[in-house]
Amino acid sequence: MKFAIAVFSAAHAPSSRRALLFAQAVLAGGHEIVRLFFYQDGVYNASNTLVAPQDEQDVARQWRELVNAHQLDGVVCIAAALRRGVLNAEEATRYQRSAANLDAPWALSGLGQLHDAAQAADRLICFGGP
Amino acid sequence: MWYLTLLLPIAASPRCLRICGAEDAILLCGDGAYGLHNPALRTKGVKVFVLAEDMQARNLPLPDWADSVDYPGFVQLSLDYSKVNTWL
Amino acid sequence: MSKSLLVISRQAPWSGPSAREALDIVLAGGAFDLPIGVLFMDDGVFQLAPHQDAKAVQQKDLSANLQALGLFGIDEVFACRHSLGERGLTQPANAQPLDSEAISRLIDRYDQVITL
Repeated sequence: MKFAIAVFSAAHAPSSRRALLFAQAVLAGGHEIVRLFFYQDGVYNASNTLVAPQDEQDVARQWRELVNAHQLDGVVCIAAALRRGVLNAEEATRYQRSAANLDAPWALSGLGQLHDAAQAADRLICFGGP
Repeated sequence: MWYLTLLLPIAASPRCLRICGAEDAILLCGDGAYGLHNPALRTKGVKVFVLAEDMQARNLPLPDWADSVDYPGFVQLSLDYSKVNTWL
Repeated sequence: MSKSLLVISRQAPWSGPSAREALDIVLAGGAFDLPIGVLFMDDGVFQLAPHQDAKAVQQKDLSANLQALGLFGIDEVFACRHSLGERGLTQPANAQPLDSEAISRLIDRYDQVITL
């Protein structure tokens, strides 16, 4: 079965970790993840400047590792990202910002990708809140 | 068509229950697990599940009207029901 | 045939970006001609209150987004009657009020749901 997973909360939120563990269980169960779509504060999971305390779980890094290990499509909503200061090199140049903090495997794109994933998937599951 | 609601904030329970049908189910996760204390959840006849790790973390007893699931169980529930609505 | 999506908007207009970002999902779906519905519930019904003045708090005026729903072919616009009553709001001009049972049937009708 095909899943589209949308994440609305930042890496430090328990709900982002919950989404991560759910995604891992989906794959372990032999199912497919059509796309991971990060929206609202979920865009922060894709920031490469997050620093997790050493004695705490680094959820952002684990998301990145999951995407890389399974070659998942990890999409970050561009409008939500810009508003929150999560920019790739292209957007940092476009808006003349001093730094970029989003790179591969994450891709910035529009809400059309969320809809496209929802259409392709058997289930759309959202995670957000605390 | 039955749907599964993920219930996270504690205060969300009463509002969400208003729109649940008898064939629907609720999965309590995060602080939603405290809903195990909420008697309103058992009166509507809706099936109640709780994510095991959240129950364990909070040292909540499992009442006889609820079932606990792990993550593979969570995935299965999302397939057993026709759609999932996360109630933030 | 396209899968239908119901977006449930539960936040007041300016309690963070949720109200706006919920509408953005709806409008994006409309732009792709997808079958989208939107339900305003709980504090989300405040988005429908008339004569609000976003400029007074230097926030985005969402009424333009709400008016655009029709232009994007989104005619399924609903409001929770119970939430309206709880908040002393009269029937909105631009959303069909539904009671709890009707909302339950509404959610049943859609293939997918996103609640923000």
